[in-house]
Amino acid sequence: MDHIDQLEAEAIYILRETAAQFKKPVLLFSGGKDSTVLIYLSIKAFYPAKSIFPVMHVDTGHNFIEALEFRDQLVERFGLKLIVRKVSDTIINKGLVEPQGKFPSRNALQSHTLLDAIQEFGFDACIGGGRRDEEKARAKERIFSIRENGGGWQPYSQRPELWDLYNGRINEGQNIRVFPISNWSELDVWNYIRREKIELPSLYFSHNRKCIRYNNRLIAVSNYMIAEDTDDIIDTHVRYRTVGDMTCTAAVASTAITIDEVINEIANSPISERGETRMDDNISDAGMEDRKLKGYF
Amino acid sequence: MDILRFITAGSVDDGKSTLIGRMLYDTNNIKDDILESISATADDVNLAYLTDGLRSERQQGITIDVAYKYFTTAKRKYIITDAPGHFQYTKNLVTGASSADVIIILIDAVNGITSQTKRHLLVASFLKMKHIVVAINKMDLMAYDESVFTAIKTKFLALSNNLQLAGVTFIPMSALSGDNVTFHSTEMNWYQGGSLLKYLEDCESTILAHSNPMRLPIQYVDDCYYLGKLVAGQIKAGDRVVAHPQGYELTIEKIISGYETVEEVHAGQNIQITFTGNLKLERGNVLSPLQNKPSMSNELVIDMCWLDVQNPLLLNANYILRINTATTTCKVTEILHKIDNESFGKYQDNKQVNVNEFATVKVTTTNNMVFDSYKTLAATGRGILMDSITSNTVAAFTIQ
Repeated sequence: MDHIDQLEAEAIYILRETAAQFKKPVLLFSGGKDSTVLIYLSIKAFYPAKSIFPVMHVDTGHNFIEALEFRDQLVERFGLKLIVRKVSDTIINKGLVEPQGKFPSRNALQSHTLLDAIQEFGFDACIGGGRRDEEKARAKERIFSIRENGGGWQPYSQRPELWDLYNGRINEGQNIRVFPISNWSELDVWNYIRREKIELPSLYFSHNRKCIRYNNRLIAVSNYMIAEDTDDIIDTHVRYRTVGDMTCTAAVASTAITIDEVINEIANSPISERGETRMDDNISDAGMEDRKLKGYF
Repeated sequence: MDILRFITAGSVDDGKSTLIGRMLYDTNNIKDDILESISATADDVNLAYLTDGLRSERQQGITIDVAYKYFTTAKRKYIITDAPGHFQYTKNLVTGASSADVIIILIDAVNGITSQTKRHLLVASFLKMKHIVVAINKMDLMAYDESVFTAIKTKFLALSNNLQLAGVTFIPMSALSGDNVTFHSTEMNWYQGGSLLKYLEDCESTILAHSNPMRLPIQYVDDCYYLGKLVAGQIKAGDRVVAHPQGYELTIEKIISGYETVEEVHAGQNIQITFTGNLKLERGNVLSPLQNKPSMSNELVIDMCWLDVQNPLLLNANYILRINTATTTCKVTEILHKIDNESFGKYQDNKQVNVNEFATVKVTTTNNMVFDSYKTLAATGRGILMDSITSNTVAAFTIQ
């Protein structure tokens, strides 16, 4: 078994543990490459039976249209049950304040919608595509990570996790976040995508897009951001290295149109994945830790 | 390319973070933006920031819980488990070490062997780790003196004598200046061995022994198939096997691995299988060959490490015991002995076992449990205890 086989085996084992230990698990899907890989893994884990996990998309309303189209094609192709819960509904129902500014990101507000949906459906396990190498707070997370009432992560009193004996026992009000691809790097994900011939949204490959330059990053012009007269709009070749909201994900200049070209660019990039593309991690030194304490993925 | 998992046990003071940072840096595995975020000034890089991912850890300058870091060489993907060194976080060290192939125990050459070192040894011994590296660090502060290295090595060997450790390798090192981390030091020509990275590159990763008797714990059952990970040996379509604890004999009909129907699979693979006949199995059952069957009993003697901060082990209280995919309720009926953290000697204390303590105890389970000796068949020879009220994982154990 090479390293990709080993990572796949670990992920499939975790997905089967999740199916065996929980009554109402759900797979969280964002339209990005990591959760797409999770869907393919869940198909393989239960083949020839169907994946038992419904798929939930917490829709911020600030999506790339390509990601939404891809989502709908993917669930249709595999016959998956899709649940969509919208942040815009949560904002109205809970009287939340819409974020302001040039890039009004609803990224942090997603946690409210996610926690409401967990309660609405009674989900006891949420499977996500978080990876430990993405970010330093994520590097500390267990494979089966408990969330208390209110959805918060308790990083200083995490359950011991021995060998592959994942403990999914929970009490009333608790739920578990499951991270099957915790040990995958960005390159591992891409190598797996190539090996398994996994389709991705076209955003991941070079295309023409109107962008503005902001803090040395390329941000797509969209209805969700406020372009100012002083902004220089350029039409250029870009691809996305991560796919999140249009308001908090930056594009990278690229002419890579094949998967080999993309892998080559990533392998040689001097910048980390989130560092190059995420505007939401740079809020503070503990940006991710703080969001996770409030229920974020 | 395969995967090697290693754990570094030590505190920041021992130079653990510097060592990890040095390995990532020398193998070109730190991206520019990350390097910039941990550098106060251009020539003042705080490598501890690389691994200490939580705010309190950075503020206090200590590692509290396990963090995972990754790097690759042309040969291998490495998973580094960065674990805390302090006593009170032994439970986190056990968590991290349980999945590692190699443990690197850091000793500060200035201070020599400390109580913490002994705790790390005990964890390595409890988990029967096959590859142990003793990294004697900060040799630069001791003028790269061979006698300092030899003295610590001799003391360590004497200490570990009654722990029956397998394969201990000693490496003199300076993580700060990079001596013997990724390249052989020119300061210590008296040391004939290779650098730490060379050791790791050559180290055999835990190979699931194909020669062991077959074990297939049933993990999940759907309408048509039994799903599980083959944890030892191999299995072929047409094989006669026994399902435990029922004792049924069955014939394997069909094996699926991934999307393919296959004739034969080896340890490490997740499979879907069917049998001939109408017998029903469930999660927790274990398949074995007709010969070389696992043991079965409702009375177990287990070596454990207690992990619960809130409550000590209570005799005759209800716990949930898990071995691989099988669970049952159980009671701990007797504490046979505990292990002294300093001398590693056995002593009697039949009252309670506290967090971070090691003990051998007797357990009575409600259902018959199927198990092997941890030494020969690890996956079916180890388990956890869970609290029946809080649901927390309260102990890790192995079976002799």
